[in-house]
Amino acid sequence: MNDICCKNETLAMATVPMQTWSQPCAWKTALQIGTIFPCLNLEFFRAEETVPPACCDPKCECKSTGQETAMDEINEISFAINDLTLFLDTHPECQEALTLFRELLSKRLELLEDYASKYNPLTQLSIVTGTPDNNAYSWAEGPLPWEGGHI
Amino acid sequence: MWSYEKRLQYPVKINKTCPKTAQLIISQYGGPDGELSASMRYLAQRYSMPCKKVGGLLTDIGTEEINHMEIICAMVYQLTKDLTPEQAKTAGFDAYYVDHTTGLWPQAAAGVPFTALEFQSKGDAFADLFEDMAAEQKARTVYENLLRVIDDPDVRAPLKYLRTREIVHFQRFGEALEMTKEKLDTKNFYYFNPEFDKAFLERMP
Repeated sequence: MNDICCKNETLAMATVPMQTWSQPCAWKTALQIGTIFPCLNLEFFRAEETVPPACCDPKCECKSTGQETAMDEINEISFAINDLTLFLDTHPECQEALTLFRELLSKRLELLEDYASKYNPLTQLSIVTGTPDNNAYSWAEGPLPWEGGHI
Repeated sequence: MWSYEKRLQYPVKINKTCPKTAQLIISQYGGPDGELSASMRYLAQRYSMPCKKVGGLLTDIGTEEINHMEIICAMVYQLTKDLTPEQAKTAGFDAYYVDHTTGLWPQAAAGVPFTALEFQSKGDAFADLFEDMAAEQKARTVYENLLRVIDDPDVRAPLKYLRTREIVHFQRFGEALEMTKEKLDTKNFYYFNPEFDKAFLERMP
């Protein structure tokens, strides 16, 4: 039993060890498994098979479009930010996490701007940054998120 | 304040209509351990939390649960959007179809409507954090029960993702518990309620 556990243990109270910083996995993998932290990827025996997304499967004949690839990247970077945010909520002093957080936030802004300029805006901020010369109501453009593979 | 982003947190692309699967998965929309219940639980509890960081965490996890609710709804929608009346008659979806056609309505798998009775906001930091940790465990169990009986890989992928999120959230609530304990007297965490008897909290070092 390590010191951190002993220090906080008292009768009639639970203890959960604080997570320590560890190297996150690749962003694509993180979105597939549901966390950027390999130490929190605790598998269930009925869900161990790995199903590659359709367009990463080498046997799959379909080719993902540029738009799909761009959306995938936005999803991956945004998810990494979501997971990192929760880590920082309980570890606000962690410099490694903070540096990564700022890096990913900038990267996400660029990706959203690029997506808005090529396809349609996903956020209202990217209407301004990605399509400064478009006077149409572009917020209504593009598929609705729940429509699935119809981008 | 919330703002909408036109994408799902985890993409959902289901091609095969299956009302039976929809009827099971809908529990994570409006069921006792569902995502709607989760988001309302955390977003209700955050106001009176004695530890500011815990209020922040409840906001962020509560927000993520709304994203998860949208993922579940997208799954139910895609599983039923091309439903024929013949398919509606089979596989236990007939009763839902009669009342809601293929519209989305929050209910448990067994048909019980969504109710706020399924979550608590107790106004006591320890009571609420233990409820939150238990809620994540219960939702994990539901996702595992779904993974045992659903074979479609397009449905399994988001379910596996959502199951992991429950474990990550459990860890974060555990850390929130540790942060709350740090503000209180280790000799007796229960001497006063830090959300109500605030005068005691101010006297803590």
